Amino acid sequence: MIIDEYIKELKEKFSSITKIDIFNKKRLMVYIPKETLLELTDHFFNDLKYRYQIVTAMDSKDGYEIIYHFSDDKTGWIMNINVLLPHDDPQVESITPVVYGAEWIEREIMDLLGIKFLNHPKPERFLMAESWPEGEYPLRRKFHKEDR
Amino acid sequence: MGKKTIVPIGPYHPLLEEPEFFKLYCDGETVVDMEWETGYNHRGIEKICESKTFEQVFYVVERICGICSTSHPFAYANAVESIADVDIPLRAKLIRSIVGELERIHSHLLWVGLAGHFLGYNTLFMWAWKYREPVLDMFEIITGNRNSYAMFTIGGVRRDITAEQATQLIKVLDDVKVKTDLLVGAVMDDPVIHARLKGVGVLTAKDIHDFGAVGPTARASGVKIDVRRDDPYAAYDMLDWKVITAQGGGVFAKAEVRLLEMYESISMIKQCLEFLKKEEPGDIKVKVKDIPPGTGIGHAEAPRGEVFHFVKSDGGNSPIRHKIRAPSYTCIPTFRKSCIGGTISDAAIATAAVDPCYCCTERMTQVYDHRTGKRMMNAVELIKLSQQKTDEIRKKLKVKL
Repeated sequence: MIIDEYIKELKEKFSSITKIDIFNKKRLMVYIPKETLLELTDHFFNDLKYRYQIVTAMDSKDGYEIIYHFSDDKTGWIMNINVLLPHDDPQVESITPVVYGAEWIEREIMDLLGIKFLNHPKPERFLMAESWPEGEYPLRRKFHKEDR
Repeated sequence: MGKKTIVPIGPYHPLLEEPEFFKLYCDGETVVDMEWETGYNHRGIEKICESKTFEQVFYVVERICGICSTSHPFAYANAVESIADVDIPLRAKLIRSIVGELERIHSHLLWVGLAGHFLGYNTLFMWAWKYREPVLDMFEIITGNRNSYAMFTIGGVRRDITAEQATQLIKVLDDVKVKTDLLVGAVMDDPVIHARLKGVGVLTAKDIHDFGAVGPTARASGVKIDVRRDDPYAAYDMLDWKVITAQGGGVFAKAEVRLLEMYESISMIKQCLEFLKKEEPGDIKVKVKDIPPGTGIGHAEAPRGEVFHFVKSDGGNSPIRHKIRAPSYTCIPTFRKSCIGGTISDAAIATAAVDPCYCCTERMTQVYDHRTGKRMMNAVELIKLSQQKTDEIRKKLKVKL
């Protein structure tokens, strides 16, 4: 795989891409605003037939980072889509209508980080108990910071 | 459609005694829809890892699963070492691969045994678990433990394999190979197993892509993916082996993949031992001073499929984010495809076919409805139902036990 050409083509196709990073060996991170997330996901999953791996969400300094991991098994590259959500408006379009397998992880992120996934088919609690208080999200940085 | 009946299974798994809850919506004998609930044993390991040092995290992730207790450290090591850009010594690579493959053998033997039990083949169960014992003993000799081996560390492994241990290991492997022949014969040549498992719990290649299913579950549907080949780590690019796939996508194909994979694992360990023999005894780890700021993604092929670890470091002592995805996380949702349309008696083996692994084992013999106090179907009854169906097929085919 000629990565420079690949990056050039991807940038031409999706003009909204803000940055593309290569890190470690065979890892690519595409930064994109949340409005065009679904288009790029659809391109990766349906056109290029990348395997959906998982979604990572984390609370970083500038906002909530949601990273969608896809694996290109033919070349061994892992392609990541990075979307940054502001702390005061943590919501993003759900990718479950495109990638069926993402249903569980999006519900998990809802539980643990309090991010809202719009148009999710089943936005219910997943891991946390029914008795867990509303508005407490264990993976947020503020959560029980004094205990650590 | 007539009245739908809900058959609740759990919150203790019908087969593996792990806590999670299925609701099967049934129309007569046929399963028409299903729902699940999980999280009964959520331990917050990702959060715990953020408060441990990079070195300590190895022993935490090892405890995610008792059966895949090398796969998680494997993926984590790949992630962390890629952040620090460490190249580990060849000896460590070989030892890592040996432990990884030994684990695959014991895990697949465990599954074959359990699958046999659910079908009413208790002899198969006894055999498989008996033959698994020497493999576990070998683990004890090499790593010091039958499970949770604590073998990995950043930059290498913690124990070397001596020439004497290598000889012992080869003897055990030769023995396991003979027994594997026996098991393969018992499964592949049995007309009842063919009739019972073929066409049950079928997943197509499209289903695999939709759900992101991995490992033997994917390979049984003809999807040729394996992290060891696609993105080689440790010593896998030095070895001569092939990715086992099967067609059909049913439970039978999954059994076939697992059984034949054991031969590959045996051959891979032997090749690693050959390489070790040629190597002069030397370092088994390199010193890694600290982990620089950065992001690392590591994956490894566990017996059940790809294990995925994402680690983010800010240059401090511990990861600031550690995301873990076990293979069952993407394989279990496929139950929706494999169980719906089948009968209740097939649901048990269809769910067991992906070798689901939740977290640890908890036990409970009966489940009562908390409102009515009425006893629901329990694990034993469900397994009985599954065994009855095999019996019926046996009668139909006029096979005597």
